[in-house]
Amino acid sequence: MDTDTFRRRNPGTQSSPRKNEQLLSKRQNENNEKDKNYKEVAYKPLNSEFNKFGSHYLKREFYFDVHPPLGKMLVGLAGLLAGYDGSFEFKSGEAYPDNVNYAWMRIFLASFGAGMVPLAYYTAIELDYSQQSAILVTLFVLLDTAYLCISRFILLDSMLLFFTCTTVFCLTKFHNERKNSFSIDWWIWLTLTGVSIGCVSSVKWVGLFATALVGLYTIEDLWDKFGDLSMPKIVYCQHWLARIGCLIILPISIYMLTFAIHFAILINSGPGDAQMSSLFQASLIGNNFNENPLELAYGSKITLKNMGYGGGLLHSHVQTYPSGSEQQQITCYHHKDSNNDWIVKKPREVAWSEDDEVELVKNGDLIRLLHASTGRNLHSHMIDAPVTKSQWEVSCYGNDTIGDDNDYWQVEVLDDMYEKDLQTVRSLTTRIRFRHKVLGCYLRAANAILPQWGFKQIEVTCDKSNNVKDSYTHWNIEHHWNDKLPPGPKAIYKSKFIHDFWHLNVAMYTSNNALVPDPDKEDILASTPDQWPLLKVGLRMCSWADDVIKFYLLGNPVVWWSGSLSLVIYLVLLTWYLIRRQRKYQDFPSDAQWNHFLYVGKICGIGWLLHYLPFCIMGRVTYLHHYFPALYFSILMVGFLFDHFTVYLAAKTRYIIYGATYFLVTAVFWFFKDIAFGMDYPASEMSNRKGEEEKIVQALKTNALKKCAPQIQEFVECSSGRMISVAWVCRSKLKLMNSCLKNFTTEEERDKLRLKYIASRKNQ
Amino acid sequence: MSQEIKPRQRQGEFGDKVKLGEKAVLEEKRKGSKTLNEDDDTKKKVKPVSSDKQISNAVLLFLTAASLITRFWDIGHPAEVVFDEVHFGKFASYYLQRTYYFDVHPPLAKLMFAGVGWLIGYDGHYLFENIGEDYIKNNVPYIGLRILPATFGALLVPIAYLIMIESGYPIITAAFAAGLVLFDNALITQTRLILLDAMLVFFVLCTLYSYIRFYKLRLREFTLDWWFWLIATGVSLSLTTSVKMVGLLTFATIGVAVLVDLWELLDIQRGLTIRQFRKHFFARAIGLIFIPMAIYLFWFYVHFAILNTSGPGDDFMSPEFQETLHGNVMTYQSHDIRFNDTITIKHKDTSVFLHSHLERYPLRYDDGRISSQGQQVTGYPHEDTNNYWRVKPAIPFFDPERPENDVIKHGDYILLEHVNTQSHLLTHDVASPLMPTNQEFTTISVDDDSRYNETIFQVLLSNGEEDTKWRTKASHFRLVHFDTKVALWTYDSVLPDWAYKQQEVNGNKNNLEKSNYWFANEIVGKNVTEEMHPKKPTRELPFLRKFVELQRLMISHNSGLTKPHPYSTGPINWPFLVRGISFWTKDSTREQIYLLGNPFTWWIGIGALSVFVGVTAADAVSRRRGIHPIIDPVRNRLYNSAGFFFIAWFFHYIPFFLMGRSLFLHHYLPAVLCSYLLAAAVFNFMFVNSVNYPISASATKKRIARVVLTADVGITAIVCGIALLCVSCVVYVYFAPITYGTPGLDVDGVLNRKWLDTWDFHFAK
Repeated sequence: MDTDTFRRRNPGTQSSPRKNEQLLSKRQNENNEKDKNYKEVAYKPLNSEFNKFGSHYLKREFYFDVHPPLGKMLVGLAGLLAGYDGSFEFKSGEAYPDNVNYAWMRIFLASFGAGMVPLAYYTAIELDYSQQSAILVTLFVLLDTAYLCISRFILLDSMLLFFTCTTVFCLTKFHNERKNSFSIDWWIWLTLTGVSIGCVSSVKWVGLFATALVGLYTIEDLWDKFGDLSMPKIVYCQHWLARIGCLIILPISIYMLTFAIHFAILINSGPGDAQMSSLFQASLIGNNFNENPLELAYGSKITLKNMGYGGGLLHSHVQTYPSGSEQQQITCYHHKDSNNDWIVKKPREVAWSEDDEVELVKNGDLIRLLHASTGRNLHSHMIDAPVTKSQWEVSCYGNDTIGDDNDYWQVEVLDDMYEKDLQTVRSLTTRIRFRHKVLGCYLRAANAILPQWGFKQIEVTCDKSNNVKDSYTHWNIEHHWNDKLPPGPKAIYKSKFIHDFWHLNVAMYTSNNALVPDPDKEDILASTPDQWPLLKVGLRMCSWADDVIKFYLLGNPVVWWSGSLSLVIYLVLLTWYLIRRQRKYQDFPSDAQWNHFLYVGKICGIGWLLHYLPFCIMGRVTYLHHYFPALYFSILMVGFLFDHFTVYLAAKTRYIIYGATYFLVTAVFWFFKDIAFGMDYPASEMSNRKGEEEKIVQALKTNALKKCAPQIQEFVECSSGRMISVAWVCRSKLKLMNSCLKNFTTEEERDKLRLKYIASRKNQ
Repeated sequence: MSQEIKPRQRQGEFGDKVKLGEKAVLEEKRKGSKTLNEDDDTKKKVKPVSSDKQISNAVLLFLTAASLITRFWDIGHPAEVVFDEVHFGKFASYYLQRTYYFDVHPPLAKLMFAGVGWLIGYDGHYLFENIGEDYIKNNVPYIGLRILPATFGALLVPIAYLIMIESGYPIITAAFAAGLVLFDNALITQTRLILLDAMLVFFVLCTLYSYIRFYKLRLREFTLDWWFWLIATGVSLSLTTSVKMVGLLTFATIGVAVLVDLWELLDIQRGLTIRQFRKHFFARAIGLIFIPMAIYLFWFYVHFAILNTSGPGDDFMSPEFQETLHGNVMTYQSHDIRFNDTITIKHKDTSVFLHSHLERYPLRYDDGRISSQGQQVTGYPHEDTNNYWRVKPAIPFFDPERPENDVIKHGDYILLEHVNTQSHLLTHDVASPLMPTNQEFTTISVDDDSRYNETIFQVLLSNGEEDTKWRTKASHFRLVHFDTKVALWTYDSVLPDWAYKQQEVNGNKNNLEKSNYWFANEIVGKNVTEEMHPKKPTRELPFLRKFVELQRLMISHNSGLTKPHPYSTGPINWPFLVRGISFWTKDSTREQIYLLGNPFTWWIGIGALSVFVGVTAADAVSRRRGIHPIIDPVRNRLYNSAGFFFIAWFFHYIPFFLMGRSLFLHHYLPAVLCSYLLAAAVFNFMFVNSVNYPISASATKKRIARVVLTADVGITAIVCGIALLCVSCVVYVYFAPITYGTPGLDVDGVLNRKWLDTWDFHFAK
């Protein structure tokens, strides 16, 4: 579902408008920034990114991604249900094969977004809101265009939001059972809370913020019980045990289980291999290690894998260090390419040529590692490393004939998985360390990330301390090529699950850390957290020039602004009541009501803070959709405040107030829906020939958006900087824009495009 | 904060509900009316306080003398520029020369240096260019300048002592605190040199001292003394902030204490009416907000009054500001620009000229995108005739009544003709070579009218009003495209070989961005002397406007100080003294100055912090279970006094984690002082375990509190205190060579002192 076909027809337009995929390319950016050639990828539609993960599952190929696997496994499951066998690459522009019931796949995923709506309602009820307020909250969730938009794409966010909602829901249910400790219901909701936080954290690590909310609630709860001197100590201990079991052990088990399933499904070698340890790779079907000669000899070409958690392959490239020695960089890198290849040589003083008899490398031998593609030697010297200043820099220097003693490394064999004899070095199984001959330091790569000049790859240093246990100084041979040696015997390698689990998590953490904003690159899709609560710039997801796709992710302003406002109002109210209490005014008929006021404030206010503040502090790139979970909490707060202010009003007044609000949010939704979607089409129009027709529809939309660019831009200009006044000030512009869009989406236009499409097909 | 227990008789029926401490309110309520004086443990023998007075004074005198000796010892060494003396010495010279400079710190401390320099007859001729330059050769009275911070540094010791005495601790505890300050190598190093931190930390301690005095008078509200110490607190606060903006952290400390205090005053059981409360509130607002603000502004007023001559700081300021300075180049070289003048245009941030040449953009870029193949427009750093642009009126907007060579004003529409190639500057909706998001700039022949609209630009001056004239040098302007509303923009990224590695120029869609500003450098052919203005300032600006401009710049430049420095460290390293800063070295004598705290006292500080956190946590947990392990007077003192020091430490330390700028060990100095005060309080808790009571003045002078307690100092406390101080002293002496920079150390000497691998001393081999 892309317009690539059309693009190919019109080579004149360099990058013809892509459609809705704008949002998608953002996600992609995120996932590929670690990749050197992200630029190329960023032009693919983003939707296909997660589809791709889905198809990896169906093809059972190992891949790597910064997010935990649950969400992507669900995408895979959706594909499976849709009858999709993974054979079809989600490449732009190809028609969907007939056997894929694409709509089903989308419906399955959209249902997560849909699930939020009833959850919001029941959560509101559990939080003791009135019926009207609960409906209000539900409507807000239902009619927020941002939520709507995001759940229609194949993205992890809808699942993240869904599980965040279930977590809050279960927590409130559990809270309401607090008087019936250890009853069946109490156990059920405690367990379900645990399951929810397990799931939410297994979709994205952002889920840990929801976990933190549950954690804080539990700590406060236990602290209260700790002060209850009437409670028998044994009961108190039981409370602890129940929570440890259900809220710590259970979620961790779920999290690990998703990884276990992940490993169990992905048994074939795939694009993510290089992130994992050599042994794990060897256990994948279709790996090419079985041609490795067994024992390392001089003249062999090898790749070296760091054995620390998250370790990569020893790498060098022609770029030099900008400071220090300014020699060629040495890094650790997770992508397999020829820059990872090293040739084992003898020291220059020893006469040796390629044609001599094969001589194996022995434990304790002095060797030289020659970088295959640049011909330089692995080298270290007394210059501080660029990031870890306390250690020596490692660089690539000289060539086969020019160099000094600083190019010599002593091979130290630590152990071998299968062999007792530690004299030789075996591929995959032998753990070795490299000791620098002159400095006595050890080659080490400990997941410190180089700045942009090092392409965010991992720094390699020479460690002054001799710590045998430090796994970051351990290396093993991953690939091994030597024409003179026979391929090694076939063996079945098995790595431990817990080891793989840690390894993958550390690797995810490291790549996640590398996602820092790059000052050299302008990222128009990124936004900063301070823009979110007021929907300031964040709604404008792309520029409006002709050469970029025009897609507008826009929250419902009523929802977003009232959400942010309600948080402020709650804070003011809280201060007000606290001051009045200090003066002994009774604003609440009973302590229970005051406690309820605080309780809702904690759930919504602290929930919001937990999902918002971390983004302000952390250095990574942030996007508008990071605010979505926080938004949910602010919506709950709106409902609560409505209740709070209207509770003593006459029923009639209440109905008027609520009615007006319902109407307002619905009207604004109606008003903005066209922009949010570009254009929305009922599914029936796409019933036949889904693939092609859909493409035509997309082309139609794109075309319309392109033709109406001036009108759209006018409207955007008018609306940017305005708050609620958009509704009337920009009304005329909106009308112009809508009528323009309508003109270009008539049946007539569509027929034109159909003809064009068919014509283009014939040409092919 | 001082002792909290009120004489019970004052408050009548509320008497026994009077709160005992900031955090103790709840617990006390729960406990009901358990009274303190019934508790046998707290009944200590009563002895006249006055006999201690003489001992205390003697100790104070001794400590002060020792402090003066440690700070002033060999103060003339090294007779060379050390570390940041480069900056602050220079600034003092600028004041004496009255030339305008720019710095991220407020002016007070630098004014003080200048004042001292003026008193000792220094004329500011030397500019402290490089670390290691000789003072004697350059004839600089540097010892006189160094005496100022050394004096403040020496006064830290008596102030620390007095803070502890005023907080009701016995002499040994106070001496312990003062001793830790006395023997801290980092404080000594930092306060003997021409640096700002001596004044900063001194004023921080003054603030704490004044606030404690003020708080002790809380039962004599609105008396003269009460007002005196309230205002003293405010003045100290503002002096702190006038030295460095870090003073805001001190504001936060006092702010929290005041809020807690006000919160308790608000309590209905305190018996204050809202009117009385309001009086309290406004008194504090005046003393702690308005007076400090006025004083802070005052130093800036002095700053502007002294610096009236053009100098190195001009370039930071707006053209309007620069016009207020004597001899400002911009002022007398600035001309009005008229239509049909030929000008050169320079980018404000990157200092390149707007340039064009006959070469065209390549059809295809490396990434496969396509260009318009128009003539290149680039940024070029050197003078060249290809930088000449003629300003022409845009016909559709040009009022025919205006003369052909009318002066151009803010908002006028113009065309720019590239003189050498006879073509008009143009931008259009084609992506620029390096940034797909921005528009390409090119030119089009003057004869080609078909795209006239796309060659029209609007001149928008910064702070421009309708009639503001466009001038060379003095006006910063944005050039906004009429057709697409993008602004002419450039940034430091160079084009490939096909454009001779010149800088890319493109159209920025965010036309309000600050980096969009350019200025007209000169009018070609107009002789500078032709219309030379007198070198007098041409403009007066209101003080507040100058202040706001400078303050903004200070903040933005301060956060912009992110350039990595070899000795900058992250805050997490500071309390543990992971790494120091090399200030100065001299190869010939193997001498060096290395900023490093006394490891023993620093680690006592961090140890005390953990003990405090541990004790309060344990106390909270056991109280929750109805067990009261610490007797109340001691506990209250622990919470109120040690808690106050803890908050002070917290606010002078934690915010650094949120700062983006590069940070140094000496940023921890205010916090380390707070940790010493806390260490003494914890010392008291561990070894003395009783307190002087009451220490707050009672409501009326005549009435004497019913219970008087005196701390029961056992021999253990004295022995432990003295032993710890002795060790501190030994460690201090051991590290003295790197503190004072003399004598030089041999390799073994350096290596022996290298207790941690991360202390990167020089001459270690």
